[in-house]
Amino acid sequence: MGSEGPRRLGHLVTAVSAEVERPGPNGSGRRRPSLAWLGVVPFFAYATAFLLLPSAVVLIGAFQDAEGGFTTKNVSEVIHTPQYRHAFQTSIEISLVTAVVGGLFGLLMAYAAVRAGTPRIFRHGLTTFSGVAANFAGVPLAFAFIATLGTLGIVTKFLDNHFGINIYQHGFSLFTFTGVSIVYLYFQIPLMILVIAPALDGLRTEWREASANLGGSSFQYWRHVGIPVLLPSILGAAILLFGNSFAAYATAYALTGGAVNLVPLIIGQNIGGDVLSNPHLSEALAFGMIVVIGVSMVLYALLHRRASRWMR
Amino acid sequence: MRRPRFAISSVVWLTLGAAYFVIPLAATLLFSLQSGKNYSYNLSAYGQVIHDEEFWKTLRLSVVLSLETILISLVLLVPTAYWVHLKLPRVRPYIEFLTILPFVVPPIILVVGLLKFYNGTVHAPLWFLESPYAFLGSAYVVLAFPYVYRSLDAGFRAIDIHTLTEASQSLGAPWRTTLARVIIPNIRAAALAGAFLTLAIVMGEFTIASLALFTTFPTYINLVNSQQVYEAAALSLISFGITWAAMIGLLAFGGGPGRRRAAAGAAD
Amino acid sequence: MPDDWANYVEIKSTFKKKYGLELADEDPQASSGAEVQAIISLKGQSRAPDVVDVGPGFAVGPANDGLYAKYFNTNFKTVPRAMKDGRGFWTGDYTGVIAFGANLSVANRVPTSWADVLSSDFNAKIALNDDPRKANAAFSGVFSAALANGGSLNDITPGIDYFARLAKAGKFQPINVTPQTVASGQTPVTIDWDYNQLGYRKTYTNFKWAVTIPKTGAYAGYYCQAINATAPHPWAARLWEEFLFSDQGQLLWLKGFTHPARFDDLLKRNVVPKALLDALPPASLYAGAKVASLGQISRAKAIVAAQWGPKVLGA
Repeated sequence: MGSEGPRRLGHLVTAVSAEVERPGPNGSGRRRPSLAWLGVVPFFAYATAFLLLPSAVVLIGAFQDAEGGFTTKNVSEVIHTPQYRHAFQTSIEISLVTAVVGGLFGLLMAYAAVRAGTPRIFRHGLTTFSGVAANFAGVPLAFAFIATLGTLGIVTKFLDNHFGINIYQHGFSLFTFTGVSIVYLYFQIPLMILVIAPALDGLRTEWREASANLGGSSFQYWRHVGIPVLLPSILGAAILLFGNSFAAYATAYALTGGAVNLVPLIIGQNIGGDVLSNPHLSEALAFGMIVVIGVSMVLYALLHRRASRWMR
Repeated sequence: MRRPRFAISSVVWLTLGAAYFVIPLAATLLFSLQSGKNYSYNLSAYGQVIHDEEFWKTLRLSVVLSLETILISLVLLVPTAYWVHLKLPRVRPYIEFLTILPFVVPPIILVVGLLKFYNGTVHAPLWFLESPYAFLGSAYVVLAFPYVYRSLDAGFRAIDIHTLTEASQSLGAPWRTTLARVIIPNIRAAALAGAFLTLAIVMGEFTIASLALFTTFPTYINLVNSQQVYEAAALSLISFGITWAAMIGLLAFGGGPGRRRAAAGAAD
Repeated sequence: MPDDWANYVEIKSTFKKKYGLELADEDPQASSGAEVQAIISLKGQSRAPDVVDVGPGFAVGPANDGLYAKYFNTNFKTVPRAMKDGRGFWTGDYTGVIAFGANLSVANRVPTSWADVLSSDFNAKIALNDDPRKANAAFSGVFSAALANGGSLNDITPGIDYFARLAKAGKFQPINVTPQTVASGQTPVTIDWDYNQLGYRKTYTNFKWAVTIPKTGAYAGYYCQAINATAPHPWAARLWEEFLFSDQGQLLWLKGFTHPARFDDLLKRNVVPKALLDALPPASLYAGAKVASLGQISRAKAIVAAQWGPKVLGA
């Protein structure tokens, strides 16, 4: 097993240090903490400059009026306008649906590829493909689905010609909530696969064998060992998928051109579009997005603590 | 112990998955070949794309941008993750918060903030604002934080860092040597996993590049999609293929036992 | 300024050949709003646009805000009064009329009027080229529908109601239109400026693409050239404007199926080649075309912004 190397070295070192006084070269016993702080300063500086400050600027802008004074008018306009409320509702719904469905299918596919009996090439193929597919979005993805499930798409035509079922006559449309969700799964499922595969690796085969030896069925293994161990990772991944879907912009626009009401689309329209409006309004919308995702992150943190508690 | 078999359920799920992912690509492929009269088949769309010099120009830009982003993220995050594991466990929550933040602040908001801050609030030097390698690169490093840090974190957890460091030090090595000769080789696989994800992110990132008015490979793809018919479909597939090939390349370069070791310890 | 919009590709290459200056287009697909935004965000950078081609709604406001430079090109006098800014901040460059275009391998014909679209023997679904709350051409399409259905330049609501009827009849596709969606048959019939529709004949080479101007409700719109007040290359920008408004430039625009601003002047002086005139749709279809004033446009925009979602999209 891979971790034996350092462990053997560790035994050697422990034996050595038991006999020899631990040296303190350069009095580093005292200087080491300060050296360590220096090591993380670059990161904090960078994060402050390129993440914290720009985000703060947007958040502050949400509460400014045209002259720069403080106001809650923008935020209240977002809350009280039906169009914006509806956009938040739709965005949250799509994100929940694609997080749950994407999470489920991603988990099943990742497990299928990662588990013991599957040839390694499937795992490598799936991981590399997922890496690309998780970032395949916007117009190319939208058109790929129009060519597949659009009114003249190959799957649409196949179902019509070979089974006599015209999905569009039965009320399906690619350009609705359902259609957009189906398209979103194309990058949600791969993201789930990428995130959950390492966690699945952590499920030792010995546990499975031990459970079988004790007479447990597959279902019992999953219920009492597998799922509880995986739960923190699954929850974390689901939140990630939620945020990813909530923030998605290019694909929704490319597919519907704005017909399905989503928050990033409205922000995009306000930033670079023909709508001459109050820029602080887009910042208020952005603030709303941050609140929604922030809340989901907090929920995740709470759930994560509960779920991992038994492991301590 | 009997060697585990390729389970039926695995085959089912992998096949269903393959169908969902491959069919749209196949539909695009079929479409890209139909540029002949009355939708007859030929490869002219692909020829057009390969001969377009904008294709090569933007591809080169995005690839270099990816490599730059990978380099900067690793330089920032490897020491950070190392110190967090070794000496500063109390800083960990702050670092984790900062590396999760790019998910909470979506790209569309990040770009608005960056533009407002560096254009307006702070009058950043022109060379910074104008260069994709400067302005855009800085934004991309932020986008890569969560993925690179997570991989490195898992990698560091999989090795016994205290023992390695002490062993190295008791053998007389200074910090720099410890870092370079002992630590880095052991987390190589984790770093490569992070690099791999960063490459895919930068090669596919559209929102920030387009709103900040830079011309990268993804914005070029978007442009072709609005102006040409079959070349656009050919281009989507070519870009998918190029990115996939690059990932496989990275995997081959870094793969092997190292990967399994890091992955085995990477329970979340 | 996309290459396939109003023959810009040839205009740019001719300019390059004549003066040795290359026009670099940072974002050809940028909407008028995005073009103005670029002037503001890229101020002081060498990437900032030197010139912009924007809808009139984006000419007046920014002119008043000092974003444009004053310049009277040599032929300024022969541009119709309604199409230029008296102070010299912008000049209308060409006009077009809203037209239908159809992919005949899917649609059985191209509609000849707005009423025709609704008729039962017209088999295809129609799409605007973008969201009318966002894009000028799509907004103008709604105006054209309004004019054909009892509305006026002061009343765009019949246009919105018309699209609501179309949507209810299942004949309207509020989706993003691209050349691929037209070629693949997803959006076989579209509404756009006549010069774009006619120009697409060059793009859609492997199926039959037909274009008509609606018999009633002809709505015309024009675009405006303006020079960035903080342009990185101010003199090249002025040279570009000179070129565009010269006879040569204007005729190149005519070749792109638009009616250039100085069209009447060119006709009067007999400098228009017959071939170019013949390539345009019959003049009778343009005769009654109405142009809205800026006040009418902004009022109509507000109505569309408020009513389009609820009435047409059901949102």
